[in-house]
Amino acid sequence: MSIDARNHDDAETFDGSGDGTGDEENKSRIARWADDWIQNPEKAYAVMLVFLGGVLLTTSLFPLYWLFNVSMAPPGQTDIPLLPTTIDLSVFIQVFQQVPFARFMFNSLFYAFTVTVFVLLVGSLAGYAFGRLEFRGKTPLLFSLLVLSFFPPATLFIPLFRAFNQQVPMLGLFTLPVEIYGTPGAVVTPLSAFTMPLAIFILTTFYGQIPDGLEDAARVEGTTRLGALFRVIMPLSAPGVATAGILTFITVYTEFFFSFLMTGNSAAEWAPVVDGVIAFQTQYTVRYDLQAAASLIAIVPVAILVVVAQDKIISGLTQGALKE
Amino acid sequence: MSRVQLTDVTKRYDDVTAVDNMNLDLKDGEFICLVGPSGCGKSTTLETIAGLTKPTSGEILIGDREVTNLPPKDRGIAMVFQNIALFPHMDVYDNISFGLRLRDFPQDEMDERVDEAARVVRMQGMLDRMPSEMSGGQRQRVAIARAIVRDPDVFLMDEPLANLDAKLRVNMRTELQRLHKQLDTTIIYVTHNQAEAMTMSDRIAVLDKGELQQIAPPLTCYNEPANRFVAGFIGSPSMNFADATVGDGTLDANGYSISFDTTAIDGVGTGDAVEFGIRPEDIYLKSNSAEAEDPSRTFSVTTDVLEPMGDEIFVYLKPILGASGEAADFEERQGLLMSVDPSSDISEEEDVEIVIDRARLHLFDDASGDAISHGIVADSEIGTADDGVQAD
Repeated sequence: MSIDARNHDDAETFDGSGDGTGDEENKSRIARWADDWIQNPEKAYAVMLVFLGGVLLTTSLFPLYWLFNVSMAPPGQTDIPLLPTTIDLSVFIQVFQQVPFARFMFNSLFYAFTVTVFVLLVGSLAGYAFGRLEFRGKTPLLFSLLVLSFFPPATLFIPLFRAFNQQVPMLGLFTLPVEIYGTPGAVVTPLSAFTMPLAIFILTTFYGQIPDGLEDAARVEGTTRLGALFRVIMPLSAPGVATAGILTFITVYTEFFFSFLMTGNSAAEWAPVVDGVIAFQTQYTVRYDLQAAASLIAIVPVAILVVVAQDKIISGLTQGALKE
Repeated sequence: MSRVQLTDVTKRYDDVTAVDNMNLDLKDGEFICLVGPSGCGKSTTLETIAGLTKPTSGEILIGDREVTNLPPKDRGIAMVFQNIALFPHMDVYDNISFGLRLRDFPQDEMDERVDEAARVVRMQGMLDRMPSEMSGGQRQRVAIARAIVRDPDVFLMDEPLANLDAKLRVNMRTELQRLHKQLDTTIIYVTHNQAEAMTMSDRIAVLDKGELQQIAPPLTCYNEPANRFVAGFIGSPSMNFADATVGDGTLDANGYSISFDTTAIDGVGTGDAVEFGIRPEDIYLKSNSAEAEDPSRTFSVTTDVLEPMGDEIFVYLKPILGASGEAADFEERQGLLMSVDPSSDISEEEDVEIVIDRARLHLFDDASGDAISHGIVADSEIGTADDGVQAD
């Protein structure tokens, strides 16, 4: 409870000495607001919060609203009103009827899930080594990992495309036994490699913070080092594992370049969700309404993931900075 | 139920030798304390026994098995850690049964054992608590339950009480002793607290700079320290030390001399530089000199600071300036520390006369620090009466 005189009921009697009321009337409305805000800064903060929050919400949510608007417009209509004239939710069903959109989504989710599991598994081993062991060449190795993550993925596309598609000898030593272009492998392998460095950095930080005593205790109690990693260190680093996992999942799910180019265009050829959206575009017609609806549907899995895991993500991202 | 043997165990890090040629032979069921100052290698020794650290060279036996290269899980050991190290994401039951679950114990036997372990540490009815909901003492008891539930051959304890408050520490100390009596398992206990070591252990192993200094029962370490380091480390407050030379039938230090029979002690000859040590409780006021077993002649000193502890008073003594005007240089210029009965009539800055119990005086080799003798005897020919101020 504040005993600040300005907030106090009796405060009025102090400066309200007769002529004060006369001044009030002479002041313009804006001047009175300004006075009020100077007296009560929390009011000003509240107004600013509402204003800035409104701006942020509008800029981030308006595109989604616009997508919804487009999907509500009848096929062929290019003049989209600010408010939809009709609400016809059947487009969301048509999306699945006209093309195998579920399969497209499954493909993308499959990539995201596979890469996440793979990255967490391998990244955990690397994170354990970097975070908890002392060995020669640790810093250069970690640094080279950082350097690798600076490469624009596009620069690696041509060599990877040739390797996956044309079975060229790699380093003159070996060729891939089968052509993996158009299979999940052509997407999962390069994307795992690109998302790995960030995951390793996050996991290294977290695994490095688990006290040695806990690992020692687990080993004395009967685990191997690897057992201690999966039974003690990983569960205790849950926010870090969740953060690395979700960032990887979202990166891969929304990835366009490799997943689009390394696969065919049909759902059966492991095309990602992007191809699903494009599939509503034929040589002569473009169903913008269905494309918009498909785009909205494609957002749902990631939105659910973020809502469910937001606590973990926030604590995961801030925990490194706020070490106990 | 196992003896533990360390043979020539050495652990070297890049530039430091943490453990240097350690040889230990611990009997079955023994309670051994490894004590020493920070960085003396006691924790490293324990880690090599646990298997958390591989020794650079040497051999470790637990029971009759050579375990030098076995991983910790296969050594039949359990360990209690300084930072307690309960798994924070598991409740008490899961913490205690962690090792059993890894070994695929059947559920009913696991329940039985966990209940029994919880009963021993008096933690029944708390099995579903999380570590964060418990006090330090309760956590430590769970950690001990986790150690005993697997019925290990050897317990390793790495300063398990260091993080508890003073009162709890004394409590847990008693509980650990009770536990040892009950389980009769070999316990290796690391501590830098010599009071814990003195009160709990069957034998104390005193370590310094990675080397074993002495391994003996607590009172032997106290009364017959093997060298100057052990003498200074065991006992609180610490023993007084002063440089001295052996004269003709006398021990000369700081302008004073104490007569003793040099021939009764091997390895001491006239002119040898030695260091003598005397514990605070072996110095008496002249009025109480009858309590001393073999009182020396009296010395005149001035009291400096008094520290009343309740059951005794610690008195810092400074020598009266000699004729040359130079203050005698006692150990680290702190003067001599004496403990007297609280009823003694003594005040600060007072000239008093003291006697030293010759039977309790320790002689150490000045160069090596090794003990030469514990107690000296008066020279029978000259007798105590001839103790006198040395002619400078």
